[in-house]
Amino acid sequence: MSPWRSRRGEFIFLVGPSGSGKSTFLRLVLREERPTKGQVWVLGKELNRLSNWKIPAMRRQIGTVFQDFRLLPNKTVFENVAFALEVIGKPSSQIKKVVPEVLEVVGLDGKEHRRPDELSGGEQQRVAIARAFVNRPMILIADEPTGNLDPGTSVGIMKLLDRINKLGTTVVMSTHDSQIVDQMRRRVIELESGHVVRDQSRGVYGYAR
Amino acid sequence: MRATFVASEVGSGLRRNLTMTIAVIITVAVSLGLFGASLLVRAQVSTMKDFWYDKVEVSLFLCSKGSDTPSCAGGTVTPAQRDQIKADLESLRPLVEEIYYESKEEAYKRFKEQFKNSPIVDNVSENALPESFRVKLSDPTKYDVVASAFAGRPGIEQVNDQRQILDKFFRLLGGLQLIALLIALAMLVVTVLLIVNTMRVAAFSRRRETSIMRLVGASNFYIQLPFLLEAGLAAGIGAILAIGTLIVTKSILIDQVLAPSFQFTAFVGWDAVVAIAPLMLLTGVGLAGLAAFFTLRKYLRV
Repeated sequence: MSPWRSRRGEFIFLVGPSGSGKSTFLRLVLREERPTKGQVWVLGKELNRLSNWKIPAMRRQIGTVFQDFRLLPNKTVFENVAFALEVIGKPSSQIKKVVPEVLEVVGLDGKEHRRPDELSGGEQQRVAIARAFVNRPMILIADEPTGNLDPGTSVGIMKLLDRINKLGTTVVMSTHDSQIVDQMRRRVIELESGHVVRDQSRGVYGYAR
Repeated sequence: MRATFVASEVGSGLRRNLTMTIAVIITVAVSLGLFGASLLVRAQVSTMKDFWYDKVEVSLFLCSKGSDTPSCAGGTVTPAQRDQIKADLESLRPLVEEIYYESKEEAYKRFKEQFKNSPIVDNVSENALPESFRVKLSDPTKYDVVASAFAGRPGIEQVNDQRQILDKFFRLLGGLQLIALLIALAMLVVTVLLIVNTMRVAAFSRRRETSIMRLVGASNFYIQLPFLLEAGLAAGIGAILAIGTLIVTKSILIDQVLAPSFQFTAFVGWDAVVAIAPLMLLTGVGLAGLAAFFTLRKYLRV
């Protein structure tokens, strides 16, 4: 993989065919995996040289969103978002204050007490984004966040991610949705069999289309 | 650290895995119960040793009319022989602590007293019982010194060590204790394996929660703590059940059943129970915690 770096506050699309290494790259950033060679720098730290016990602190500065939402089915919207703060030991007074704020940012105010199965796919993804964003991370990683959603709903999610980006969070999003990439005109990095084959500052999904 | 959150996680984890939790509690209770019982038997043996070794004597039976051992070829012991034996015993002080001469009449009286409810008394005449020296040793294990000095000597029919009879009994109790301990160890192994599997199932059934915890940057400690507390709590409940059983055993079986029927001997006191109970709790909770910790290290990686 040829070296590339992101600047603070960027919005980056990661494109490429299935198996090209998009998800692996995102897992490397989270240090769910280690590179066989080369270095991964996140927030000024080289992950290979970061000791295990420092990983949680590093991950607190990264929010993550997945295609399949990964919500806890037996918890309400509020509890799902609060969970992210509870497990890193935040006091409940802060949770009561911060969670409603972030639910308002993602447009879910009024649905705090619903359970995930009472929500549409788009709403579930908003809960997942709220959970990723509630700790105000420096980086938001989104692995095909619109992959399970219809085009109309996807637009809403993209607007939300754009809003979060404008609040100062770097967003790195892998996607197969050419329409979204072509409309947003942000930096595009294309991977192919694990190599960067294109890095464009206001790119489109692909030349061929 | 948010105690209420951790507590609610522990509670929901235990409820979700209720059957496994009950299995852990029961195996912990049974294995620790056996463990405690074997320790109690050992305490009992040592209590009885203290009690009896203090009382045991070496008996030197002197030749009487019917004796047919070679050392009694000269017939009934002569007064000169008797005095010589007594003098030689005196020379063995301080190993020999007390010397007490029992005449035929005294022996017969004691015999009648011991078997007063038995018809055997009527069949034994005064002359059938030998006169003897009863010797108390300062160190009951040095019986050999006395035996080698007096056995086979003219005028002495037999040298008898009461300790040997007691030792047979203590060996039996020691064997029982060993068996209980071995079963307890096997049960503890079963308990550890069960806890390992319970933790695996628990980690699997909560993989969604733990994967999110890792993702949002919860520390390893925070992720593993509810599991460790669950294992510790289940083991603790099991240990308390086992300790309860031990207390009931002591207060009913020993104090109310055995002690009144066997008044001639001493039984373990509550101090033994007080010493054993924390050991049981520590063993149970410690083993469960270790088993859980090493299982979780494998199944809940960063």
